[in-house]
Amino acid sequence: MKSLIRSLIVIFALSFILLFIVHQLNSSRGYTSGNTLTVYNWGDYIDADLITKFEEETGIKVIYETFDSNEAMMTKIQQGGTSYDIAIPSEYMIDKMKEEDLLIPIDHAKVPNLKNIDSRFMDLSFDPDNKYSIPYFWGTVGIVYNPAMLNGKEITSWNDLWDKDLKNEIMLIDGAREIMGMSLNSLHYSLNDKDHEHLKEAKEKLDTLTPNVKAIVGDEIRMLIENGEASIGVLWSGMAAEIMWENEEVEYVVPEEGSNLWFDNMVIPKTAKNIDGAHQFINFMLDAENAAQNTEYVGYSTPNKAAMEFLPEDITGDERFYPDEEMTSKLEVYENLGHRSLAEYNDLFLEFKMHRK
Amino acid sequence: MKKLSKWSVLYLGIVFVILYAPIFYLIFYSFNSGGTMHDFDSFTFDWYKELFQDTRLLIIVLNTVIIALLSAAISTIIGVLGSISISMMRKKGIRNSILSLNNVLIVSPDVIIGASFLIFFTIIGIKLGFFSVLLSHIAFSIPIVVIMVLPKLEEMSPTLVDAALDLGASWKDVLTKVIIPYISPGIFAGFFMALTYSLDDFAVTFFVTGNGFTTLSVEIYSLARRGISLNINALSTLLFLFTLLLVIGYYFITQRVNKASQAGVRK
Repeated sequence: MKSLIRSLIVIFALSFILLFIVHQLNSSRGYTSGNTLTVYNWGDYIDADLITKFEEETGIKVIYETFDSNEAMMTKIQQGGTSYDIAIPSEYMIDKMKEEDLLIPIDHAKVPNLKNIDSRFMDLSFDPDNKYSIPYFWGTVGIVYNPAMLNGKEITSWNDLWDKDLKNEIMLIDGAREIMGMSLNSLHYSLNDKDHEHLKEAKEKLDTLTPNVKAIVGDEIRMLIENGEASIGVLWSGMAAEIMWENEEVEYVVPEEGSNLWFDNMVIPKTAKNIDGAHQFINFMLDAENAAQNTEYVGYSTPNKAAMEFLPEDITGDERFYPDEEMTSKLEVYENLGHRSLAEYNDLFLEFKMHRK
Repeated sequence: MKKLSKWSVLYLGIVFVILYAPIFYLIFYSFNSGGTMHDFDSFTFDWYKELFQDTRLLIIVLNTVIIALLSAAISTIIGVLGSISISMMRKKGIRNSILSLNNVLIVSPDVIIGASFLIFFTIIGIKLGFFSVLLSHIAFSIPIVVIMVLPKLEEMSPTLVDAALDLGASWKDVLTKVIIPYISPGIFAGFFMALTYSLDDFAVTFFVTGNGFTTLSVEIYSLARRGISLNINALSTLLFLFTLLLVIGYYFITQRVNKASQAGVRK
């Protein structure tokens, strides 16, 4: 009994010492002061130096929290409990959050740096007039491939994937919209198509891709391609950029038929307490120099036109990640399909996945 | 003990290689200057340095350890008292139903527990953060402690308690001098199980974190989209060593407890 009690006392004492250390660390960073801003972002999706810079400029302390999926983030915001002042969801989620009345309109007068955003990326279907959201990073869906493993073969279009030589070579990201969209695009339909016949046609076309498909995977696709487990992958440009940093042999291409244009956007959730600070933060991130610094750190494509001047030529000149006007005109943003069509997309994609074996 | 045959040694060896290879693989690359989990460049301590310079990550690690220690200790206390009262119940029917309720909590999916905690806390107005995480960790650890402790109680002969009472021991003495010393291996096992459960729980914790308070598992999951850098390898290496120390400590504690009980001394 004595030894049990002794262990208990040791454990409690240890926890309180640790608690004290954490408290010291927290207060040394100023978290205990009243003027704070809670930012909810994807993991490792901001240059930490920028947070420090923002804190120094404004005197507001930033509490930075991370999430791993749009859905999880929305659940947390819906329930309240934490007063998130800024969140950074993807575009399709903004539509849903608007429907659920979870967002506060952004006062454009308080974010003068909005003028820095490229007009191509403003006023898009998921948020007309950018009433609720400001683009943070953007990208495309495309194909990464390893020319060395394909004997120098070049891939330029979705239809190249149906080549009989590519047996068991392709990895697909596990997303109904992405993969159904790929098939629709390859048939020159819109990736927001709701026509039942078109969707059926797209699914049948996908079925014929089956012999070439090696796997349908999630985030691990990145490592598999980096390590040369497969020579071709269909995925997002942000992920492609990371693969290309690690493995220089790999190429990325936005198929000529067109593809998806995706966005992560800054929004102010209903839970926000420091609305003024949130506007300051958005304006700070839209500043050309700051946006450039963040872009260099994160490596995704920035929608900030003014920031381009501060970025090295080999980033901004890279047409794979900063496609020209002509290419972007072919890119489409996902629209809210509504429950019925979305269910149809999901069902058809599921049937395709089951068809594989 | 009979000597193991060659085949069983080989079999055991293979099992252990499979169990430990991924961990050693991860540890090995935490020293890679190349920055990836393939192509070992050269030996470096950079990731460890980077780890200790990252105050935010350090706070998260400490949070995780604090929550694990506190929740395991508190749930052990509650769980031990609970299992003693369960074992003392006379009516079999009630006893079994309480036990099944306990088991339901163990098998029910973490996401559901997490989501219900989130809704519960927001409804009764508890701010998400340290206490919400602590409370939910205590809650999901209690059933684990109960199933670790209950077998020990059942193994104990009821005549022990009767004899103590006959010899004039009060109920308090019976509890502190007979029952608890007898079941203390189970208590330690329960504590360490609760500790590991708390350390690696993601699903429940995700829902109840907030206001700047996060644990390691939540943080690592959220890195999935951008890829995990090698300082997470370094961190995992340190945590692995930490748990190794815990296990060694656990071994020595149980050794001492066993020796004491064999000698018939109850301290």
